[in-house]
Amino acid sequence: MGVTNGRVSIGKRRLGAALALLAALAWLPGAPADDALPQRWVSAGGSLSEWVVALGGADRLVGVDTTSLHPTFLQDLPSIGYQRQLAAEGILALRPDLLLGSEEMGPPPVLQQLRAAGVRIETLSAQADLATLEDNLTRLGALLGEPQRARQALAAFRSRIESQQAWIAEAQRSQEAPGVVLLLGHPSGSAMAGGRDTAAAWLIEQAGGRNLTRHSGYKALSSEALLALDPDVVIFTDRRLLEADEARQALMRQNPALASTRAAREGRMVALDPTLLVGGLGPRIPEGLAALSAAFYPARSPLPAEATPDR
Amino acid sequence: MNPAIRPRSLFIALSLLLALALWGSLALGPVSLPLGDTLQAALRLLGLTLGGSELNQAQLIVGQIRMPRTLLGLAVGAVLALCGVAMQGLFRNPLADPGLIGVSSGAALGAAIAIVGGAAFGGIPEAIAPYLLSLCAFVGGLGVTALVYRLGRRDGQTSVVTMLLAGIALNALAFACIGLFTYLADDATLRTLTFWNLGSLNGASYARLWPLLLVTFAVAFWLPRRARALNALLLGESEARHLGFEVERLKRELVFCTALGVGAAVAAAGMIGFIGLVVPHLVRLLVGPDHRILLPASMLAGASLLLLADLAARLVLAPAELPIGIVTALIGAPFFLYLLMRGR
Repeated sequence: MGVTNGRVSIGKRRLGAALALLAALAWLPGAPADDALPQRWVSAGGSLSEWVVALGGADRLVGVDTTSLHPTFLQDLPSIGYQRQLAAEGILALRPDLLLGSEEMGPPPVLQQLRAAGVRIETLSAQADLATLEDNLTRLGALLGEPQRARQALAAFRSRIESQQAWIAEAQRSQEAPGVVLLLGHPSGSAMAGGRDTAAAWLIEQAGGRNLTRHSGYKALSSEALLALDPDVVIFTDRRLLEADEARQALMRQNPALASTRAAREGRMVALDPTLLVGGLGPRIPEGLAALSAAFYPARSPLPAEATPDR
Repeated sequence: MNPAIRPRSLFIALSLLLALALWGSLALGPVSLPLGDTLQAALRLLGLTLGGSELNQAQLIVGQIRMPRTLLGLAVGAVLALCGVAMQGLFRNPLADPGLIGVSSGAALGAAIAIVGGAAFGGIPEAIAPYLLSLCAFVGGLGVTALVYRLGRRDGQTSVVTMLLAGIALNALAFACIGLFTYLADDATLRTLTFWNLGSLNGASYARLWPLLLVTFAVAFWLPRRARALNALLLGESEARHLGFEVERLKRELVFCTALGVGAAVAAAGMIGFIGLVVPHLVRLLVGPDHRILLPASMLAGASLLLLADLAARLVLAPAELPIGIVTALIGAPFFLYLLMRGR
């Protein structure tokens, strides 16, 4: 864990530990006081946990939910279960000062019990847009006592998205925006396709593609409907489907409709990490977008992966 | 059928089991509290203060989290087992469970409407929103059961067989509608629906508890008074009628009681399977089919088993929690199989 936090001095850490101890001793309803920074954090949101780590708060996390999978060391922390199905006593056993989560966190009676037990509850939005991200990072920066770092992370995120947009605009001079479909799950049966109001659609549009589906949410797409949409690019959320040649061929055999789409004929199938689709914009979004854009516009050389937000 | 043990020993054993389950439910949890603190906090709930030490954490956890949860488990377990006995008596079949008359599928349909519809339309008044799910589940369970009962009636007579078949048809219909709502749901509401269908005692609070407690008291008071009539019904409907029992009224009351009891339990804790089926069966194997013993014994056993299952649900994965429906089915189903094999 310490890797992410090399710049924090030893003295500051000791102070942190002492504060945590103090907070634990003074663990009464109503405490801790609002002006003290929360030291023991439980995070119930994948992207939020990632940001906490990116902003140098990894050693404050004492528990995470099942959607907090990145960076992988978070999976070693105690798991509080699924974010909409939290258990009050389990969380209290971790003696947290703060419970961080999105508007999906619940159930409400459990949040009330936690609040009554003096746990501060911060609800940030999981909306996938830049304005929300700015609010979230500002709040996290304040809570971590790292406002400067939060501003830098936001600026870096913004500038990467902007240069990506410029790159796409440049690429679109020589190539039309491709039509794209994102398929969740294994496409041998009826895979679920991301509709127009999903995070999948947001990612596709941001990466310079056109999301072809017209439904809302994630809905099963029949083979025939897939054929009718005839996407230029198909995105899968399982890397293993595309890694080996045999897997790829097996996939084509199992789904003849998929095999006869333009995307399959031209070999334009991409894998995307499904964790990018949940919980709002996380620090790995620019990377994911850059990979998608590179697949959408193969003729243009991809943007170098510099200016990754500080992690 | 020879009872395996005498009723008195069974009641003593079940009381001890219930006391153990109560103690476990109040004293154990992901937060480990010293036993003394737990006891003092529990006594303070009753208004008794021993020693003046500060017990804020223990009081909070025992008083606000474990106690409402324990009461909820007690009521849900008791009422599910009682209604299970009522259904097995009504259908004269040890495999009957409250789901047969549509109360579970109706409640699940109500919940699906509340979860998916609530998310789609929004704009539900603040005052109702937290209770919407429970309310819809309760109304759904009652509504479908009323329909099943109505379909089973002809010329002032209730045919149990017709009711059973109508129940099967309406269950299928209700599950089709649930499927439709599942299809319409987005990811988040879908997961809420899935978890609701697995049941949980998590997040119990006194404010949401009292309707269920009221119903449980009513059912627990009323059903044992019909024990003799249920015994007569075991011989057959016409035999019971000739013995002087009002069979039509009894059937109506049993159906109403089950709809009310199971409806309230499901509304408060979601779908919890196998208690209503396995517990009466188990108790019957131990003490025989006399409802005068079967009813109170099933009530005690149901409450104890549900509390113990909940204890497992909250401890196994701590700090996360397992839905209790998984625990009851995981223990209940193999145990049921064992009973079947042994009885051969």
